[in-house]
Amino acid sequence: MSTVASPEPVQPRSPWATLRTVLRIGAPPRARFLLSTVLGSAAAMCTVALLACSGALIDKAALRPPLYTLTVLMAAVQLLALGRGPFRYGERLVSHDAALGALARIRMWLYDEVEPRSPAGLSQWRSGDLLTRATGDVDLLQDLYLRGISPVIVATVTSLFAVVVVAIVLPAAGVVLAACLAGGVGLSSAVAWTRQHRLGATEEALRGELGADVVELLRAAPDLIALGRDEEYLERALVTDAALTRLACRRSWTEGAMSAISVVFTGAAVVALLAVAIPAIGTHRLPGYMVAVLPLVALGAFEVVTPVADAVSRLSHHVEAARRLLDIADLPLPVSDPTDPAPAPTGTEVSLDRAVLRYGPDHPRALNGLTLSIPEGRRVALIGPSGAGKSSVVNVLLRFWALEDGEAAIGGTSLDHLSQETARSLIGWVAQDTHLFNTTVGANIALARPGADDGEIAAAARAAQLGPWVDSLPRGLDTPVGEEGAQLSGGQRQRLALARALLARAPVLVLDEPTSGLDEPTAERLVHDVLATTTGTSLLYVTHRADELAAFDEVFIVDNGKVVGHFDPKARLPHGDVQSGQAAPIVPELFDAITAPSRVGTSGLGAV
Amino acid sequence: MAVGIGTTVCLVAQAVLLGSIVQQVLLDHAPRDRVVPQLVGLCGTFMFRAACSWSGELAAHRTSAQVTSTLRRQLLARAVALGPSWLATERTGELAASATQGVEALDAYFARYLPTAVLAALTPVVLLTFILWTDWPSFIILAVTVSVIPLFMVLLGLEAKRTASHQWARLSGLSATFYDLLQGLPTLRAFGRARSGRRTLERANEEFRATTMSTLRVAFLSSLALEVLASVGTALVALFLGLRLLDGTVQLGMALAILVLAPEVYLPLRRAGAEFHASAEGQAAAERILDILDDGDQATEDRSSREAGGEHDLPVVAGNTIRLTDVEVRYPGRSVPVLDGVDLTIEPGEHLAITGESGSGKSTLLSVMMGFVEPSHGAVTVGGVDLRSLSLRDWRRQIAWVPQRPYLVRGTIGENLLLGNPDADSPALYRSIELSGLSGLVERLPGGLDTPVGEGGITLSAGERQRIALGRAILRDVPLVLLDEPTAHLDADREASLRDALGPWLDGRTVVVAAHRRGLVGRVDRTATLVGGQIVEVGNASPQGTRPIGARP
Repeated sequence: MSTVASPEPVQPRSPWATLRTVLRIGAPPRARFLLSTVLGSAAAMCTVALLACSGALIDKAALRPPLYTLTVLMAAVQLLALGRGPFRYGERLVSHDAALGALARIRMWLYDEVEPRSPAGLSQWRSGDLLTRATGDVDLLQDLYLRGISPVIVATVTSLFAVVVVAIVLPAAGVVLAACLAGGVGLSSAVAWTRQHRLGATEEALRGELGADVVELLRAAPDLIALGRDEEYLERALVTDAALTRLACRRSWTEGAMSAISVVFTGAAVVALLAVAIPAIGTHRLPGYMVAVLPLVALGAFEVVTPVADAVSRLSHHVEAARRLLDIADLPLPVSDPTDPAPAPTGTEVSLDRAVLRYGPDHPRALNGLTLSIPEGRRVALIGPSGAGKSSVVNVLLRFWALEDGEAAIGGTSLDHLSQETARSLIGWVAQDTHLFNTTVGANIALARPGADDGEIAAAARAAQLGPWVDSLPRGLDTPVGEEGAQLSGGQRQRLALARALLARAPVLVLDEPTSGLDEPTAERLVHDVLATTTGTSLLYVTHRADELAAFDEVFIVDNGKVVGHFDPKARLPHGDVQSGQAAPIVPELFDAITAPSRVGTSGLGAV
Repeated sequence: MAVGIGTTVCLVAQAVLLGSIVQQVLLDHAPRDRVVPQLVGLCGTFMFRAACSWSGELAAHRTSAQVTSTLRRQLLARAVALGPSWLATERTGELAASATQGVEALDAYFARYLPTAVLAALTPVVLLTFILWTDWPSFIILAVTVSVIPLFMVLLGLEAKRTASHQWARLSGLSATFYDLLQGLPTLRAFGRARSGRRTLERANEEFRATTMSTLRVAFLSSLALEVLASVGTALVALFLGLRLLDGTVQLGMALAILVLAPEVYLPLRRAGAEFHASAEGQAAAERILDILDDGDQATEDRSSREAGGEHDLPVVAGNTIRLTDVEVRYPGRSVPVLDGVDLTIEPGEHLAITGESGSGKSTLLSVMMGFVEPSHGAVTVGGVDLRSLSLRDWRRQIAWVPQRPYLVRGTIGENLLLGNPDADSPALYRSIELSGLSGLVERLPGGLDTPVGEGGITLSAGERQRIALGRAILRDVPLVLLDEPTAHLDADREASLRDALGPWLDGRTVVVAAHRRGLVGRVDRTATLVGGQIVEVGNASPQGTRPIGARP
């Protein structure tokens, strides 16, 4: 499943290498890309040639030759005038098509890179907005193709063509035109690049800061107004804004320089071409009408190369976006499949033996020799403070992360020997925060088992106590989850996740704090229903609420990546009268009670 | 404007100079030396044009930067002046986006579209005037084709705008699907469906491409039409000039000048059209921002001035009775008033509890007392003076308000506490930490008071946040204390210990506590119960007896 190899990590990647890599991943469909540059160049050449031919036509006409000598030129002018539009239209269509194709490839690539790392491999490294940013970055790259690469190629091809034609007519003029084009494009691109390089990062940082300032000001407004500090915080946001405005003014200077450079070099080309051409006409090395044609070609060529500097000025944004995407692929792969996977085991006993897990070489041990076993059909709860290693146990069982040492096994077969797919097929999962896909209620349940028929899906929904709710929906299971009216409450979401897990018919069910976002009565009902609907299934239930423990066969207490105690909740409860529902949440009081050695004995807890 | 005229004049001068050079070289066989003055002139015009476009860009971008900055300033100031009750009706995220990206998008409008629009209005007129003066047949060709362009642009531009917004919606749809799949990958993997997710993405990509291409095929027709019109117009001018040169009815120099100027007549219009599309996002943002700025303009004017200073001198809370008389509050879009004829008298130093179900109007009542919400009927008076005639800023200076969901600003725990009173000394700070039950938290953190909170810092629970707000309130040391569900996030034991700790501090201050359960209120002098925005019961004895410490002053 996770056969996608990450590209060899290059640290740090140069802008050029970043671009090359991202263009290799998102290579636009070759034929369409070629066609678009051909059409684009043809359109640009039409622009230049139309000016040249019109100039030639007028010059020749001024010498008052017979009309028939001009017919070819006249026809050319008409053709070029009519041709430019369709060429340009074709180019825009084909280049958009090519860009969309390239973006599709980047999306697929990103999906393939994120897939083997999700969720543990991503969350250990970055904040939660990683994926939001990544989707935005992919969209941003559309401009790289349409306004970055395409115009540069077209400009290069067309200006080379113009230079060659001019050089054939008069070599010196070719040199002059080439020099002016290169100088103009080179200088304005250099200005654009240095500006982006120097100001781009500062600008991004200031924008981010302004965004944070504004959000803070608006969110905290009631508090700030009540405390009489609103003006101060408004001023603070405005100071950032003022810095951004100053930066924009500095940027406008280079913006102006870019356009001035292009005008100056156009002028230089026109004047220099005339200066070279006039003596050549005097000595009859050049036909007289060329005196108008050469400057007009220069005007046309400069019009074609203008987008290059703009492309360069946008380049650093694209490079940054590409770099962020490639960084995701550089994250280590948390799990890999065995070369020769073992068949699915028949037994379902889950065991972790001296399990050690670390989310990176520099990270502390999230599991530090944890030993735990869940015999077939037993219902086990796992409690402990946040950061104790509860979620790491879930990550190991679902094969989201591999153990560094020790062993995790199902039915006596080590998880390392099973393919990820086989391992996961043995476990049904209800997450802390259930993700609902933007599709129908039914499809969200059905994803647990492709090929399940409507009856089975409805049965799973009923088993998860979603029946009355589904019946109340006008379209039943076909109601989209996102649509108004079908907005799911926290409890309904978790029940839907439960329905999913039930439909999967996995022999082991893992529930990772399924009630953490729910209010007390809802949570109580959910736990009750979970236990009632899953009799006979092995259950690992992760929680931090003491009042949920009573119905389990065994409770393990985890801290610092280890099991530090376990007890039978039916026999005795450690702290407070849990069953009456009056007890405080388990953390930290219960936890103190459990872990403090002197009190373990008095609480009647069996130490491990 | 001046820059636009300068540039246009340069264009004309360039064309004329170029024409005269060509005429002299071609017809008079002039050597290079004889056209040197024109060549130098040509250099000069290009230099001048460069200067024009430099200063033009400079002016456009600076103006834009200043305009966007001013807009942002006004937007934020207005949003804050409109106050908490208005902010509550807005989605903060969207508002923040308006103030940042929205204003940013306006840059495309001010720095790019507006200058080109000015040029589009100006340049063709100047050039056409020149051409009319020199060669009327060319003028007719250009004038006819140019006058069709705006018509075309309006017709096709509307269509393009529609497709563009469709397009935008579709792209965000694809992005949303993509994001949905990436987000849901853990689920897909857990159920062995990662590959089917991949297929969904493939399908979505392909669908997007197909529909996009079919709309683009139509959308690009508008620029095709413009392009064809412009190049056919130029070609026609060239052909007619050529024919009339053959007759000798027109001079070569002028003919060439007109040929050079012909594309320049169309260019600004085409460019303005393109920039118009590019700035569409900015225009949408502008509409939204202007909406906000207009929102309750008059009401805000009143409010803003009142925030600054009122007509009356401020009665001091201590020693004065606060009275709510027949207070009614309606929120826009709700038929039922949130508060409906509330009469309440709060004596100085009294501890009053307001209980009721959630949604019964408790928080609104506190908001009215804070001056966040203005009653649509009835009045709040302090020592007989209407709150409406007071400076709210000065009024709030006497109040410590602990909201249900306080917001912590970026910074350390200490900074957040000192927000209540920046001048507090460290004994006062430590006392507030102790009273608000924060000692445990502060001791547990390795960074203590210097631990940053929020983004990049530690995540605090709802209860811990509220205790920080309580600490802020304690630091203020003011006569009126408004507590909104202060113990909602605490268990019974902690609630009791907090109550005991706070008791002495609350003593002697006027306190109003809102709570949805009586048991959470603690010991108070009186309890008022709200049901559906009306006070149904005012009891003198609290359920847990009389106030614990000290007698009523």
